[in-house]
Amino acid sequence: MTDASTLEPLSFSLNGRPVTVDVDPRETLFDTLRERLRQTGTKGACLEGECGSCTVLLDGEPVTSCLVMALQVAGREVVTIEGIAESSQLSALQAAFVRAGAVQCGYCTPGLIVSATALLKKNPRPSEDEVRRGLAGNLCRCTGYNKIVDAVLDASREGEELSETGTAGARA
Amino acid sequence: MSGAQQHNIGRSVVRPDVRDKVTGATRFGGDLCGPEVLSASVVRAAHAHAKVIRVDFSKAKAIDGVIAVLGRDDIKGTNRHGLIKRDHPVFCDERVRYRGDAIAVVIATTPEAAKLGRDAVEVEYEALPVIATMADAQADGAERIHEFGNVLATQLIRKGDAAKALGESDVVVTRTFAMGGVDHAFLDLEAGYAEMDGDVVTIHASGQWVHEERRLIALALGLPVERVRIVQPPTGGAFGGREDISIQIYLGLAALTLGKPVRMQYTREESMVARHKRHPMEIEYTLGATRDGTLTAAKVIIRSDEGAYASTGPAVLRKAVSHCTGPYRVPHVEADGVALFTNNCPTGAMRGFGACQLAIAYEGAVLAVARELGMDVVELKKKNLVRDGDSITTGQVIPVASAIDCLDAALDRFHWNARRKDHPAPHLRRGYGVSTICFGLGYGDGYPDASRARVRFAEDNVLEVYSGGVDVGQGLHSLLAQIAGEEFGIDASRVRVIASDTALTPESGSSSATRQTLFSGNAVKLAAGEVHRQVMDAAAVMLGLHWEDLAIKGDRIVGIHHENVATPLAFVLSGARARGFTLDSTAVYKPRTVAPTDQSGRSPRAFLTYMFGSHAAEVIVDIETGEVRVERIVAAHDVGKAINPREVEGQIEGGVAQGLGMALMEEVVTRQGRILNASFTDYIIPTILDVPRIEAVIVERADLEGPHGARGVGEPPLIGAVPAILAAISDAIGHPVEQTPATAERVWKIIHQDNAEHLT
Repeated sequence: MTDASTLEPLSFSLNGRPVTVDVDPRETLFDTLRERLRQTGTKGACLEGECGSCTVLLDGEPVTSCLVMALQVAGREVVTIEGIAESSQLSALQAAFVRAGAVQCGYCTPGLIVSATALLKKNPRPSEDEVRRGLAGNLCRCTGYNKIVDAVLDASREGEELSETGTAGARA
Repeated sequence: MSGAQQHNIGRSVVRPDVRDKVTGATRFGGDLCGPEVLSASVVRAAHAHAKVIRVDFSKAKAIDGVIAVLGRDDIKGTNRHGLIKRDHPVFCDERVRYRGDAIAVVIATTPEAAKLGRDAVEVEYEALPVIATMADAQADGAERIHEFGNVLATQLIRKGDAAKALGESDVVVTRTFAMGGVDHAFLDLEAGYAEMDGDVVTIHASGQWVHEERRLIALALGLPVERVRIVQPPTGGAFGGREDISIQIYLGLAALTLGKPVRMQYTREESMVARHKRHPMEIEYTLGATRDGTLTAAKVIIRSDEGAYASTGPAVLRKAVSHCTGPYRVPHVEADGVALFTNNCPTGAMRGFGACQLAIAYEGAVLAVARELGMDVVELKKKNLVRDGDSITTGQVIPVASAIDCLDAALDRFHWNARRKDHPAPHLRRGYGVSTICFGLGYGDGYPDASRARVRFAEDNVLEVYSGGVDVGQGLHSLLAQIAGEEFGIDASRVRVIASDTALTPESGSSSATRQTLFSGNAVKLAAGEVHRQVMDAAAVMLGLHWEDLAIKGDRIVGIHHENVATPLAFVLSGARARGFTLDSTAVYKPRTVAPTDQSGRSPRAFLTYMFGSHAAEVIVDIETGEVRVERIVAAHDVGKAINPREVEGQIEGGVAQGLGMALMEEVVTRQGRILNASFTDYIIPTILDVPRIEAVIVERADLEGPHGARGVGEPPLIGAVPAILAAISDAIGHPVEQTPATAERVWKIIHQDNAEHLT
């Protein structure tokens, strides 16, 4: 990153909290999150928008943060994987991923959880085909995707009232 | 089992690592430190083959933020690594042999400055002829990539008289197969950091065998091994792709030289250009049979593209020839393999390790024999598959040969006999394929393959497992907790696993070769069994009963014939410790395998044990475009015992998906030593839309060696998927499919080969 003289202040909402940070106008939201704010839950496996590991919600819409310039999020709401769980309680979707065995190495998992959270918010009872189309932008190399589909369908069947502890709901 | 009740084995326990993975809390190699730490970037070769005339760091050193530029003159050890041959220079000397070769490493205050410095290093080359293909490598007068030439290794099998037997066979088919290079494409890019802890350089980076990496790094850097420590962070996939050294030596050298922490991370392009690949192979396969479908003889010629350095190439070639007839009884076999250096990316370990290429070939040849005989392929398979007590081509007798069990299980689940033969649309053709494969587990062939494990009750009375074995995402550590806990009836979730740190854990070999369940599982079981004896000895002394009259039940030690004796386990553990009893044991599991003879390539025990599998696949082929859609795959594998059935399913499903990628879309495209598709935009791996429902069928015929009868599962699911899919395409279009990947373009050309004059 460049020296301080070329930096510009950026204010946005990150996981429901206001954040102000100085950024290089040439840097991506991905770099701002990971390098400046040290929020490393957002992963990156290609940095060209192919793998979906860096998916975050921007005003509720899933975006690949490696293709979003940091200054584009000024004044907007960003939710990362760190903002999906309610404090120490897993969301229904996260709990379903754990139960289903939808996680192996786990590197794709944050991006998948963010994408699937957005999917279920829009379409709380998706069909299997809708789940697959909704997650088509997230690569996973370990699982063969079957248990990921199962987890999302499982979470959708449970609705929003259940989670690992039976209280917290999915939150986008 | 030490009398403990079944608590853990065969139960789909939730892995302890998963919770942090769904919240984003898990810190992989690239998450461990931020901009407060120096950054490193590697200068790569600008040619696939060239002499290095001059290297000049002066302009790079003048870049703002660049702290140091380190090259071969800064490295005090051998400046070499390599898992078998130690032929891979850390920094090139007089010659570069592929485009991933390294010249220097630049360390700077920021990643951007490091990259600017990298681009400012001046290297003058004198280009040499590029050996781009295996034909180039074997051409008369070909430029020698290494001093001894372009042949890395040869391997053979001689069994009976194949030439004579083929001459006497009723039918003989000869087919030629070709497999493209494949990238591991694990998502977690090579990333980590190194720092000095006193005079010990500590490297936090992901490999597959921390103790071997420590040896290689120490040799390269000229340090005693005690001065190198490897700590493996959570790892985002490996699939063989982390077996070779990647960032570790650059990081170690930088931290050692500067005395400060240094981090680095490859880009996807650098990862694909620098890291080894799956071997492209060309296989000529001749298979004979009698009129009734009994296989008589096989003649197999294998050529393997090694790229620029040996990596694990000799072992991959050996695995290829030793698996050249797979799970079939073939009385006469003549196999010859040659591994050839080229100026392509080095090739090495990847899930399936030579056995998967040969499975494509032997299954393709079996299919061709069935067609020639007009015989149902399932019938032909059943006639020739090994049965309990038969020997396979290496000469090894297989006591539990479950190929037919797996075949039956796959076909039953698939409802094979009820398969639909309709065309879903005028331009679509439905096809079905079935595969049967085998895989020898562990390093085998006389290699001193061993796992060690330490088990103890810690001061807080928690059962601890210490293992050098790395968890690359497959769930090894959870599995070891299940096995250790089982000895005491302690739930896996209450077992603490300390792993993959060379300073804290015993050597447990590599997480590869589908060996950790078998090897580390057994080592943990042995160590836990001894700790169980230690606890019983202490309890016997404390309670005044014979040790055989005591058992652990729940969290208590009870008297088998004394109902009034029920002492809390924790009380006994604390009491034992106070009385000076040891509650701590390290065990080794080191089974014997036998090296093959040079003359025959055969061995009575090439591998500790074999695993069998069978897949049934359904595809739909668009005959107008050549596009293939896999509709369904049933994958049956005899894992011996599924210690964690859900995780076994996960391994099968993931392996099938990677096999689908290899079968249909994945190919490292190389021209004149340059990879043309070194990105996820151009190198296509299966998405959630490409992978159908995979039905994993777990067959459990107990292994004679494995812990609780378990074998393992890692590699065979990939191996079985590829030939099943290729056979299904072949069934759909009525022509053999013998090249991977079977891209739409290739399938279209096969469909239209009868009109070849229209093709360009």
